[in-house]
Amino acid sequence: MTATLLDRPTLAAIEALEAADDVEFGLRLLANTPTNESRDPALLRQWARTADEFGAALAHVAPTARVVESGDGLERGLLARYTSRPVPTVELFTDTLALAEELIDRLGWRHWYPAGSVREAAIAHEAVHEQLHHGPAKAALKRSLGHVVLRAGRHRLYGHVAGADEIAAHAYARTVCGLGRSPLLLTAALATAADPQQGSPHGRKK
Amino acid sequence: MGVVILLVMAAGVAAMLTRRLPTAFALVILAVVIAFLAGAPLTGENSVLDTVIQEGAPALAATMIAILLGSWLGKLLDETGIAGTLVRKIVEFGGDRPVVVALGVLAVSTLVGTVTGSAPAAMLAGIIGIPAMIAVGIPKVTAAGTILMGIAAGMPFELPIWQFFSTALELPVDTVRGFMMKLFPFALAAAILFVLIETRRRGVEHAWSLKSASAKPASRRKQLGDAPWYALLTPLVPLILALGFDIAILPSMLAGVLYALVTTTRPGEMSKRLLRTLYGGFEIAAAPIVLFIAIGILLAAVKLPGAVEALEPLIKAVSPQNPVLFVVVFTLLVPLCLYRGPLNVYGLGAGIAGVLIAAGIYPAVAVLGIATSYNQVFGVSDPTSTQTVWSAQYAGVTPQQVMLRTLPYVWAVALGGFCVTAATYL
Repeated sequence: MTATLLDRPTLAAIEALEAADDVEFGLRLLANTPTNESRDPALLRQWARTADEFGAALAHVAPTARVVESGDGLERGLLARYTSRPVPTVELFTDTLALAEELIDRLGWRHWYPAGSVREAAIAHEAVHEQLHHGPAKAALKRSLGHVVLRAGRHRLYGHVAGADEIAAHAYARTVCGLGRSPLLLTAALATAADPQQGSPHGRKK
Repeated sequence: MGVVILLVMAAGVAAMLTRRLPTAFALVILAVVIAFLAGAPLTGENSVLDTVIQEGAPALAATMIAILLGSWLGKLLDETGIAGTLVRKIVEFGGDRPVVVALGVLAVSTLVGTVTGSAPAAMLAGIIGIPAMIAVGIPKVTAAGTILMGIAAGMPFELPIWQFFSTALELPVDTVRGFMMKLFPFALAAAILFVLIETRRRGVEHAWSLKSASAKPASRRKQLGDAPWYALLTPLVPLILALGFDIAILPSMLAGVLYALVTTTRPGEMSKRLLRTLYGGFEIAAAPIVLFIAIGILLAAVKLPGAVEALEPLIKAVSPQNPVLFVVVFTLLVPLCLYRGPLNVYGLGAGIAGVLIAAGIYPAVAVLGIATSYNQVFGVSDPTSTQTVWSAQYAGVTPQQVMLRTLPYVWAVALGGFCVTAATYL
């Protein structure tokens, strides 16, 4: 798969993505995340905005996870992956990163995504997952989203919003890597370009 | 003649393993060939047509009805949003701790496993449960395994299974229930240990996935809101009635259907929903019902006097009577219930169980112990069983990966079942 081989309708579909704002992509991510299917789109948009602001405001932390590279990202529909065991590791999928860089040039998006920034963004994105996994930031994100699942007098129990951490991670990557648009826009463009034709909803052909 | 029958059985297993024949067809052909080899006449008493086919086919009718009711109830749990609500609540309450979410989904799977089995059970718990677990960072193989281990933990309480073993092994339901209660702690402990150990060993996993920002079309599930909290008790209703009030299996399951209906559906829509989900239940139950027809036919064949006479000396010679040897041998034979092997309870294993009882090699309740223990392995780890295939593929991994990850745990469950059997019934 190369970006130069994209046909006109695919390119037009990708260019049409530019019109949607970053929060819209966050909303789509939430809507596609299981457990959010029946929620009001207005509520999802509000959560997407809050998660985006939360991620953008996260203090910069140097990534500590080791970084490894693999080459089968397009087949698996992945750009990067964080695993906490046996040691915290960020796996970068080089074929997807290469396609991303190529696509940025082809679409004239270089002013939004400077050369090499996707790789940096991927590492920063996964660093947030590490931060949310180990630190107190996860509870802070829950509080800021304000999804109350239980009330007892003055006490409130905030519920987990599946997918919000992904939006926060993308917003953090956008901020610390100085990107002009959310990595979610690029993700949507890559998905349209790569169209990995996954048979299963989570990445393997049936 | 016994050796020839065993060779025919081996050929049947080979046909099932290589998928030359669907299991149900292979079992029926096996049954007819065994009956002829055992010297059964075409018609009359102990015959191929009248005994094996005519009487064998409906022999497990009560099980088939229970399977149908389970599928009906499963369809209702799906359509009314009860299963989805249970998973959503678990994620909302425990989402920042993946192990809590996994334990919660395990509990839902266990509840679902008490109602229905096979792929529909996996779908009920897994359609939302698997992606929900993956979304909070549970690795894919662990997510698929959690669903399967949960369903297996519920299996000792699955009323259609009680009915199956009761009819197939000619044991009172109370006896089956008694053994299942002894098997349950092993299944539950293994399921919980699977989640605790595997989430600790594998940690969490988060992926920057290309499909995360896609604008995919709205699914039908978007229409389903939360079911009321009291409707979430539905899976417990048949269990409470059957276990607590000694009510028979079919009425207990029917009560579950009615409870799900009245707690989730407006009176004006009830009959429409009942009929729609019942027909949907038929679709789900079709495959297992065909299998149970075939198993009934095979059981009738291996119980023919000629077959018992031919097989008894051979099976007796290789069946351990010493309790320790019994545990060791049957534990080592566990892999033979995988890949539709000869000890698969929903295949030739049912026939072997029939021979063991008919030839008087083990008491029927000991055979129950062997069969249910193997069933715990088959229900989770067999890469050809529909629930394992569905869960693995839906999670985006292979059934073989799930088998390797879960097998040590279910093998231990089987070992526990054999120990109980040897200590109690030999």
